[in-house]
Amino acid sequence: MTGIPAPYRLRPLHFLLMLFCAIAFVHAALVLHARSARARQTQDAAIRDTVTSNLGLTDLGVATEARYTRHPAVSDPMAPFMDHPGAIEHFPTGSFWAWPGPSGDREGR
Amino acid sequence: MDSGLRKHLNILDYTLLSLWRRRLKNLSILLVFAGVIFLVASFELVTQALTETADRALRNVPEITLQRLSAGRQETVPLTYMERLRGIFGIREIVPRVWGYYFDEVSGANYTVMGMDRRRMPGGKEMDLALARGDMPDPEERGAAVIGQGVETVLRQKGGSLLSLFRPDLSQVSFEIAGVFAPATDILTSDLIVLHPEDARDLFRIPSGMATDLLVYVANADEVSTIARKIATLLPDTRVLTRTQIRKTYQVVFGWRSGFASVCLLTALTAFVIFAWDKASGLSPEERREISVLKILGWETADILAIRFWEGLLVAGLAFVLGCTAAYVHVVFYDASLFRPVLVGWSVIRPDLRLLPTPELANFLLIFCGSVLPYLAATVIPAWRSASVPAETALSGM
Repeated sequence: MTGIPAPYRLRPLHFLLMLFCAIAFVHAALVLHARSARARQTQDAAIRDTVTSNLGLTDLGVATEARYTRHPAVSDPMAPFMDHPGAIEHFPTGSFWAWPGPSGDREGR
Repeated sequence: MDSGLRKHLNILDYTLLSLWRRRLKNLSILLVFAGVIFLVASFELVTQALTETADRALRNVPEITLQRLSAGRQETVPLTYMERLRGIFGIREIVPRVWGYYFDEVSGANYTVMGMDRRRMPGGKEMDLALARGDMPDPEERGAAVIGQGVETVLRQKGGSLLSLFRPDLSQVSFEIAGVFAPATDILTSDLIVLHPEDARDLFRIPSGMATDLLVYVANADEVSTIARKIATLLPDTRVLTRTQIRKTYQVVFGWRSGFASVCLLTALTAFVIFAWDKASGLSPEERREISVLKILGWETADILAIRFWEGLLVAGLAFVLGCTAAYVHVVFYDASLFRPVLVGWSVIRPDLRLLPTPELANFLLIFCGSVLPYLAATVIPAWRSASVPAETALSGM
């Protein structure tokens, strides 16, 4: 380092700037990827619309293990002891999905 | 260069060297902090992506879904209910639908089996566009099934070309695979088997005059709520679900009020409390000595506070950026694989979620305010207390 003239020596600040540049580069790449993925998703949305309108689908099929997470919109409302008196919740997905709330109740009541 | 700016750049240089001197400690703080932010941000992005997907995918759900309830459970609906609904003005079409769950004991997979007369569905008719292979069978054709990608995977593993299912009395019924849904629809159709309504009725042994639910289509969208109210009054033993309610359900099921979210939040909160306690409990003797030496060398209290501020901002800010970036990569490129065991549970059929959240400033601002700002406060306040003590006193006390 002693052989390099002072104005050309790298200060700690320069390393920080290089780190910021690297982060900015990664983020720019992520933004570009998101744009192309968004365009693909728009095409997918049209196909999904066809399926939902033709088959009358009401729910996302993210989890298939329990009916209240496979069809939270149209199945029995999530409730403790729902399978039989004393039955505890044992499906892992029940911890991820929140209770749908009173919006799942019947209309007009 | 402005002397104030130059001074701050020099302070920043000193701060970076100071961080580098204690690199192991600072790196471990950075990683733990980034890990906590990653956890919270990942959950936020997953729930946001799922909510957005549901919002887009469920735009065309039936305007009204009618179910019959008995003892709090869903029961089959008599088709005679359709005749009673004909009197309500404004109903365009009523489509009975037969559907249910089929548990495949060999693979442990749960299928959703569905059958309805597609000719009566008011939606578009271009179902072939939604298929990756094969064709949609003729609505009259019996013995043919259209299956989702997940069902096809299970079938392939079992090595069969026919879909063989068992009725409740264990007699077997086989279906020819007419088509397979496109991967783009996986989040809706992965576990789906679409049959002729009579085939579905035969599989579940549902009597011919019954259906699982009725889909009601309304001529004027503004009248959905009124018609739903009329149906609820006319058929008191039914549950009437409108499109708005179904979409509203998906606005709330993925959120911070679930049990898993509480675990994430509690973990984050505990980590922050430990951080804050460690920082607020005071500086180490070495840090105190450093402050005293700097004061003896002529540094002002404001300069020492600036060092601590920059230290806190660099560590917390970098942890925030790293945590949030890693969370985005985790959700978009790895389909939130760390959360998958909880998100899909013991499901054998696991759809390709294709999550793509829209990062919103409000979400990140919330995480920033809950993580970086408390850390900054916890860093600067003890430094101010220490720096405001005369240097000789601080050194003599060591």
